[in-house]
Amino acid sequence: MAAAPLPMDARRPSHTFGPQTIAAIQRMAEEGHYEIRGWGAKRVLPTFDDLVFLTASVSRYPLEGYRERCETRTVLGARRASRPLELDIPITIAGMSFGALSAPAKIALGRAATAVGTSTTTGDGGMSEEERAASHLLVYQCLPSRYGFNPADLKRADAIEIVIGQGAKPGGGGMLLGQKVSDRVAAMRTLPAGIDQRSASRHPDWVGPDDLRIKIEELREATGWEKPVYVKLGATRVGNDVKLAVAAGADVVVVDGMQGGTGASQDVFLEHAGIPTLAAVRLAAEALRELGVEDEVQLVVSGGIRTGADVAKALALGATAVSLGVAPLIALGCNGRTWVRDGVAHDATADYRALGTEPGYCHHMHTGRCPVGIATQDRDLEARLDPEAGARRVANYLRSVTMELTTMARACGKSDVHNLEPEDLVALTVEAAAMAQVPLAGTTWIPGRS
Amino acid sequence: MCGIVGLHLKNAELYPRLGELLVPMLDCMASRGPDSAGVALHDGHAMHVVKDVGPPVEICVRNGIAERGGFQGIGHTRMATESAVTTQHSHPFAPTPDMAVVHNGSFSNHATVRRRLARHGIGCTTDNDTEVASRFIGHQVAGGADLADALRMVLKELDGFFTLLVTTGTQFAVLRDSFACKPAVIAETDDYVAVASEYHALAGLPGIGDARVFEPVPEEVYAWTR
Amino acid sequence: MDPVILDCTQLSTREINAALGGLPDGAAARVMAPWGRHNLAVGLDNRITVRIEGNAGYFIGGLCAGPDVVVDGFVGWSVAENLMRGTVRVRGNASECAGASAHGGTLIVEGDASSRAGISLKGGTVLVAGDVGHMSGFMAQAGILLVGGDAGQALGDSLYETVIYVGGSIASLGSDARVEDLTDDDVLTVKRLADRAGFEHIDPGNVTRVASARELYHFDALAGQRY
Ligand code: SF4
Repeated sequence: MAAAPLPMDARRPSHTFGPQTIAAIQRMAEEGHYEIRGWGAKRVLPTFDDLVFLTASVSRYPLEGYRERCETRTVLGARRASRPLELDIPITIAGMSFGALSAPAKIALGRAATAVGTSTTTGDGGMSEEERAASHLLVYQCLPSRYGFNPADLKRADAIEIVIGQGAKPGGGGMLLGQKVSDRVAAMRTLPAGIDQRSASRHPDWVGPDDLRIKIEELREATGWEKPVYVKLGATRVGNDVKLAVAAGADVVVVDGMQGGTGASQDVFLEHAGIPTLAAVRLAAEALRELGVEDEVQLVVSGGIRTGADVAKALALGATAVSLGVAPLIALGCNGRTWVRDGVAHDATADYRALGTEPGYCHHMHTGRCPVGIATQDRDLEARLDPEAGARRVANYLRSVTMELTTMARACGKSDVHNLEPEDLVALTVEAAAMAQVPLAGTTWIPGRS
Repeated sequence: MCGIVGLHLKNAELYPRLGELLVPMLDCMASRGPDSAGVALHDGHAMHVVKDVGPPVEICVRNGIAERGGFQGIGHTRMATESAVTTQHSHPFAPTPDMAVVHNGSFSNHATVRRRLARHGIGCTTDNDTEVASRFIGHQVAGGADLADALRMVLKELDGFFTLLVTTGTQFAVLRDSFACKPAVIAETDDYVAVASEYHALAGLPGIGDARVFEPVPEEVYAWTR
Repeated sequence: MDPVILDCTQLSTREINAALGGLPDGAAARVMAPWGRHNLAVGLDNRITVRIEGNAGYFIGGLCAGPDVVVDGFVGWSVAENLMRGTVRVRGNASECAGASAHGGTLIVEGDASSRAGISLKGGTVLVAGDVGHMSGFMAQAGILLVGGDAGQALGDSLYETVIYVGGSIASLGSDARVEDLTDDDVLTVKRLADRAGFEHIDPGNVTRVASARELYHFDALAGQRY
């Protein structure tokens, strides 16, 4: 005999203690440990989706697609560097470490960036030969851990990025669980293989903007004042931090919003620290304007940027360029159902299942068991990613995003994407209007201004 | 985030040269704090605080600091972190007529301490974190604590990263937090005690070659009394 | 060949480093009147000798891979940071973070070093004749830190594979650092290093060896780790 259906009331979920919260508490009770995972914030946040463009009509005139050129060339770092970075598009690839990512993934990202004329970035763990060879323009990160950091690589880099924090975990240090600390990764980082690696959250040789100023001078002295120096910040007290980065001498300030991804972090950081990219870009642009250096110091924005619309909105709000991390990984095949070898698609669903997830929901970079060979150091798994095919996919994706960007810019009557401005935007929600400081659609109202 | 300097003269023959010795020290710290600068000088009778927005040397020239004497003085160059660049936000802060405080670093719970002070009827005039620390120290001393004890209370109540330099009508004291991440160097001779964020601010002092040069260790109060 | 004279009162830091970087292997230079100048002799990879005649500022000899640098005086923060090869010798005291993240080469401090000496060390050798301040050897990964005098609080906190030898007392050990028995190899190592640095006051058979207990190498909250 079938059990009688439960009355409606008996299945009423709690918002405070929903099924996921119950599961999380039960897990902590069993393991005595916080959750560590990859990817970025999963919660609902105000995003660029809450903004729309006021494209041209009668008062302004659009450019013709395909026929009338819309410039995307972007120069970063001309403030003090004798060799600024000249990019064909304002879309760059963010720092992700060899270690967090497999060698084929790093190679694919480098080749894709090279193919579309933009830069890619090293990560925690230093510069690998493959990566340098694959990347025409390579930004070398100087991180608190200084794993594998050395002056020879510094000199063969195209720009230097001093990482103070990242949006996924501002105020926290890097993390790489033992499964991914392979012999090669361990050797590059001067660590015993297989340990759960936790990096420092402050730099070992300076603390605070007054000392950062001296550090930046050291890096410039060591490289003949050639290379642009970026300072990367996790978005928290953005206004203050951007001003201090400029005072310390940065050529480029990179602001990474809370949607930014990571190879492994405490879940509590991913979901509860930092501010959304939408708010961060506006605050950063405002800080540069207040200092009067908006034409001198470039702003690069990252954290959850996916489409040409996102890029266009970030540029309109004051960014000179954007930086992408998770999106190119997805282009590479992250969260895809299959991986391909010799033209044959292999289903990876069972491998996702083994991690306790499914394609479309995976955030399991921390396990080192990436089903599609991207976030792993396992030989068999990384062999699932063909760097050549991967590079093609990422390049295709970056070209498509660029086309979306120029489509939007042309429709706004701009012959250069850098001429997009906040006045080209309105907001669909009060939150987005307040954060971006653009009017709510259909009104002239900007929350907090009038 | 800033540069700090201080000079406590033991040899009375140097008293007339206090300003002359302090100004170059402050100038050396200009790159650590380009936004504003200030000094507090004690001449034995009163304390004189001069602060303004702009480069330290200009401020000193404008106010004739180099010509002034006294038995001790402190100075500060400011790189503003979280509050505005104004004269009011500049250091030194003077919580009482004869106490001056300068700070390099950043407090992480100053808002709470500010509210706690307000409950005792002590208001701050700016949103600057150093003002909170200075009023906290002033409040402790007004309540009967000696300066060293007041600074030990700072370790209990204020969180974050700091090097503090405090002068009163008779005393000169230095304290660093438990992490000691913000720099400080002390040089002591029979004639003086000098403190600065970086050594080169001390390099021009007379007899520096024979001074005992050391860095204050974390959580220890270093105090000298006239 | 006579040493090249570079006067800090006449030249900018950039001019001095450019001049040093342009010298052929085997050349010598004297840097005069440094007056606490930062970033002198950084990023050099030629095999030259540089003598800095006076007290200097932050990052002296940082990011170098080759030269032998001597400072006749006191240095500011992070002397020889990220050193790869060559030596940096400080005749006076060193400020905080001496030898931070040095991957190779040797830093010799004839006086005391302040807090966080040898922080994040990655294979370099840091030899201090006198005392070191608190948190020295923090997160040090490889290489050797030898302290002739006393060590401050929390020595070797979160240590990886660096080995620390201390001639004097240790105020306290940091998390995951422990004292280990001195082996014959250790005694030989200390002797070799002390001889090289000219530290005659160190008795190689009478130092304390501090190394990692390796209990923080893996996450395991149930073991009651402090992190
Ligand atoms: S598929 Fe691979 S790269 Fe994507 S989230 Fe899962 S583990 Fe990470």
